[in-house]
Amino acid sequence: MHVTGWTVALAALGALPAALTQSRTVAWAWVLGVVALALVDTWLAPPTHAVGVRREAPGSVRLSQSATTRLLVANVGRRRVRGAVRDAWQPSAGASGERHAFALAPGETETFRTALTPTRRGDRHAGPVTIRTYGPLRLAGRQRSLEAPARLRVLPEFASRRHLPSRLVRLREIDGRTAVRLKGAGAEFDSLRDYVIGDDVRTIDWRGTARRGEVVVRTYRPERDRRVVIALDSARLSAARVGDAPRLDASIEAALLLAALAAHAGDRVQATAFDRAEQARAASTGSRIVASLADALATVEPSLLEPDWPALVRLVESRVSQRSLVVLLTTVDTSAMDSGLIEAVAALQRRHQVLVGSVEDPELGEMMAGREDADSVYGAGAAARAMLEREAVATRLRQLGAEVVLALPDDLAPAVCDRYLALKAAGRL
Amino acid sequence: MTATATATGELVTTARGPGLRARARRGRLGIAAVVLLGGLVAMLVIGARPGDYVPLSTENSTPTGTRALAQILRAHGVEVRQVDRLARSAVRDPDATTVVIANASLLTGGQVRSLLDYPGDLVLLGESGDALAALGIDATEEPVLLPETVPAGCDDPDALAAGTARVDVLGLAAAGDGGELCFTQRSGLAALARVDDGTRTVTAIASAELLTNARLDAAGHAALATRTLGRHADAVWYVADGLDPSLLTWAGAGGDGDLPTEVEATPDFLPPGTGTALYALALAVLLAAFWRARRFGALVREPLPVEVRASEATRGRARLYRRARATGRSAASLRAAAALRMGRRIGVGRSDGRDALVTAVARASGRPEPDVDRLLYGPPPADDAALLTLISELDALESEVHRP
Repeated sequence: MHVTGWTVALAALGALPAALTQSRTVAWAWVLGVVALALVDTWLAPPTHAVGVRREAPGSVRLSQSATTRLLVANVGRRRVRGAVRDAWQPSAGASGERHAFALAPGETETFRTALTPTRRGDRHAGPVTIRTYGPLRLAGRQRSLEAPARLRVLPEFASRRHLPSRLVRLREIDGRTAVRLKGAGAEFDSLRDYVIGDDVRTIDWRGTARRGEVVVRTYRPERDRRVVIALDSARLSAARVGDAPRLDASIEAALLLAALAAHAGDRVQATAFDRAEQARAASTGSRIVASLADALATVEPSLLEPDWPALVRLVESRVSQRSLVVLLTTVDTSAMDSGLIEAVAALQRRHQVLVGSVEDPELGEMMAGREDADSVYGAGAAARAMLEREAVATRLRQLGAEVVLALPDDLAPAVCDRYLALKAAGRL
Repeated sequence: MTATATATGELVTTARGPGLRARARRGRLGIAAVVLLGGLVAMLVIGARPGDYVPLSTENSTPTGTRALAQILRAHGVEVRQVDRLARSAVRDPDATTVVIANASLLTGGQVRSLLDYPGDLVLLGESGDALAALGIDATEEPVLLPETVPAGCDDPDALAAGTARVDVLGLAAAGDGGELCFTQRSGLAALARVDDGTRTVTAIASAELLTNARLDAAGHAALATRTLGRHADAVWYVADGLDPSLLTWAGAGGDGDLPTEVEATPDFLPPGTGTALYALALAVLLAAFWRARRFGALVREPLPVEVRASEATRGRARLYRRARATGRSAASLRAAAALRMGRRIGVGRSDGRDALVTAVARASGRPEPDVDRLLYGPPPADDAALLTLISELDALESEVHRP
């Protein structure tokens, strides 16, 4: 049962007769009369099972974008139903305008739209649908909730996709497929062609020149069909917040941008998210990898476990047989010394090229610049110590031959892609 | 209340309830319990009248009350009527009515003036304060240190009939000629004072203890009380509480023989019925509370992620440094960090060693080598001031280093 504001207004109207008669008995009698009227109205209200609902959730939406979920309400009873429904979603689904009033004749249906602007990545679930029906006097009515499960998958924002066009231009420059004729770079022999003025004399193929009698040059192209394995660390350290998002979110941005770029470059990308076990996996060819990767990573949440690096090494070895680029998106800090990261990188580097990407904390930079008083200088000292420890680990990793990228959350994705392009241009894949 | 869902085609509806009769059968025990409990509550509410614990009230049956006295007076045919507001007294015949005022010291000036205008007999009980002098009794009230039962010691017929009475708690000390004091104990404090101006009698019983349920049967208290208060067929009893500003009302007060209405007796700026209207609105507010409290469906649970700031550990370390006043450790970290940054800028690696770095930095900044060496590898600062000085010098050095 529920009452409406009309009941309260009617009860407040009782102040008039009470004031005129100056009798509290009249006041009580009026209010009890209103309550009795509301009870009768509830009894006369149509039953809630006369209303059927159906939810139609939009499936998936990118974080920071809005979606519309639809709620179909039908009158399956024999009487006209006047009422309201609440299309409840969990708070982070960002539902607005979730209450809808309806008046339906028997057999009639109506569809309501609720705007959803999710505030967090992952699966957002709908709450129960609550139905209210009003009695003929609109004073009160019946109320029941029912479960109508629905789910909205919120994909990662992929804000770093704005970096993609500039990286693709760079990729084409390396490829030699630009509109302005620039020398293609790369390590794989492509073809021979006639020398034109402006070509690098170092690319002249003397054997071909001797055979043809004209000067010919070799053209190169970057390697294609290389394997790229992206491994996201979703363990304990990825849960820490940098800015207002966990480290994992920056790693996901980097993974998506790299996957998009590598797919354009013709490489085969597969990705995995792991802590002690694999949390998500995506592998497909061509540009479909970005969509499948976004879908797979949408529901990955940081766990509070220590990562199992040897298991990751075994996982990578079982997935790829050729030499590949293994991109570890993790956190480089002093705990890497004993967590097994260094041993894992050493093991992977033996057969593959390893690129380690790590999110820097901008707060440490602010702390390190603190000079106001003695306290902030102690803070600066602590931040400098943390930075030195991180540099020590990074140096150790570089000595093993791995590439290390340390960048602020927003810069990690373009920085990892730049390093990938550099490796590609140098033919080190 | 969440119903189990049943699918009708594609639609989801709440399950049809078991019906009123089935529900009633299933909840028979519950309904019986509710009815029983409701009946019990109703009986208690009706049966339990609010207890009266006001001293000297005729409804109060505790030792401090005067219910016994009121019952004795009623048994003798005196109509005892207690009023909660002075304006309700509405005395019809002042000549045949005794007005009893307990705690007259709490009356306002206007109320005391209305007592002065009143033509009938008055009895003041307990502490009366300024009302005593206003009504013609020249006596002051003083606390009784030596309670004592004493004989009447005056010519008053009521006092003589009573014989003895106990002077306790409060007594009257003579301050002039107005009024006759009775039951005076050794230190000169009297239990009772009476003044008769020919038209009416004003009696003040300062030691009102003697009227209470506890003391009424002692000494000559009962006789004194019944003779003093039972003189007329009517007795109007009012216990002042300081909250009621209304005036004493009696027939003929307005000059036309009618009883004044309560409104005239209580000057009030609000129209009549305001209080009742507010009472009715308060009841409406209860309904409003129910209206707002009923949720439109339950709250939806939100599983929240863990929130740990990445810099938490570093901040903890900073606090440790601060507590330990670790100037040396902080300076060493900042020096190493500055050396790393400067080395990177001018192309000197960490493995190149101290001398190479000092030489390169000195060349890039144009400072003498010993100076640079002291800043980068000097002794640790002794206190906070030295640390701050060192760091600002280090910052200055770093800003001077440019790529050669």
